[in-house]
Amino acid sequence: MLHFPKRALLLAAACLPVACLAADQAPAQAAVDPAAMAALNRMGTYLRTLTAFEVEARTATENVMDDGFKLQFDGVASLKVRRPDRLHVDISDARKQRQIFYDGKSVTVYGPRVKYYATVPAPPTLRETIQVLAQKYGIETPLADLFYWGTDESGAADIKVARHIGPATIDGKQADQYAFRQDGVDWQLWIQQGGQPLPLKMAITSTAQPAQPTYSVGLRWNLSPRLQETAFAFKPPPGAMKIVMQTSDGKPVSIK
Amino acid sequence: MRLSAFPRACVGALTLAVMVLTAIHEADAQRVRGGGAATATRSTATRTTASANRGAYGGSYSGTASASRTTVHRNAQVNQNVNVTRNVNVDVDNRCCGNGEALAVAGAVAVTAAAVGTVAHSIPPSCTAVVSGGVTYQQCGSTWYQPQYAGTSVTYVVTSPP
Repeated sequence: MLHFPKRALLLAAACLPVACLAADQAPAQAAVDPAAMAALNRMGTYLRTLTAFEVEARTATENVMDDGFKLQFDGVASLKVRRPDRLHVDISDARKQRQIFYDGKSVTVYGPRVKYYATVPAPPTLRETIQVLAQKYGIETPLADLFYWGTDESGAADIKVARHIGPATIDGKQADQYAFRQDGVDWQLWIQQGGQPLPLKMAITSTAQPAQPTYSVGLRWNLSPRLQETAFAFKPPPGAMKIVMQTSDGKPVSIK
Repeated sequence: MRLSAFPRACVGALTLAVMVLTAIHEADAQRVRGGGAATATRSTATRTTASANRGAYGGSYSGTASASRTTVHRNAQVNQNVNVTRNVNVDVDNRCCGNGEALAVAGAVAVTAAAVGTVAHSIPPSCTAVVSGGVTYQQCGSTWYQPQYAGTSVTYVVTSPP
């Protein structure tokens, strides 16, 4: 007696919801638009040609509170980069200030207000160092993606959907907006039009989290910076106190 | 109406007990597990008084949060066990603002004589920095803390005297 309704339910479930929508609406488009992937690759290739740059990032990070509030926190991150092995980061918001120094041999994290610094050994390249900071020490380097695009680990294979959305104006500059989907994140990228295909804006939505918080960042570029070696080598200011850095598995690390 | 001496003493003792319990609870709420994600700290107990409801940053709202991802590259993604869930009003530069509430809360950590290995987000204002073996410790009365960076957050681990 229940057989027929059960089968009908199964059929309905099989047709939910993507296939049915696709049947009703516009003709299916390829999930990965080759033009969008080409734009991403072109940007990555261009980023690889930059040997030294400064970029200022204005960030908005959404936090989902345990009672469901989604709060937005604004901050600024400034990066000074000299490939392949120099980095200075200034991170600042109302709650915290941090500086990261990488001189090709070690990484120092310093808090100008708390006066604590910790120094740990680092691999010889920027990309490896950013990976170690994230995975071994739980430190997010702002704009970490800049150091992956255009490399063998560009992440292109992770992209399941790629779309060209259309033209946009970001910070007064002409750009093209793209949208990408991969496991756990939907992300958007605004790439400057013309001969310098720089990322001008990025928005990352964490689709793996039920409340889907978004991190968005606007980028301002300086492609002819004057970078002194002193920007990358940490010298403890008067009153600075050396402490240890904890690894993800709870071990304290320090050198010098 | 006058209360007899015995009930009055009871009321006094009860009031004191509630104050101490609130302080201890808040001290617990400020702690995080070393190396692991902070556990949810919001509960009805933290909402019983205005001061207990405040985070170290001074806002009137304190709770754990999970932040959006900041990178699309898996290898650049922060280890899920560290730093992903945090209390937005506790993970702050405490020294910046001379925040009396934060210091009072932190004081409770010392009062409860935290066990070695306990991790706190803040320490009392009266501590002395002592360098031993090339790194800094904080001596707060009879309690010693080792400050450390856990991610970009400063936490304080209760240690034996160095």
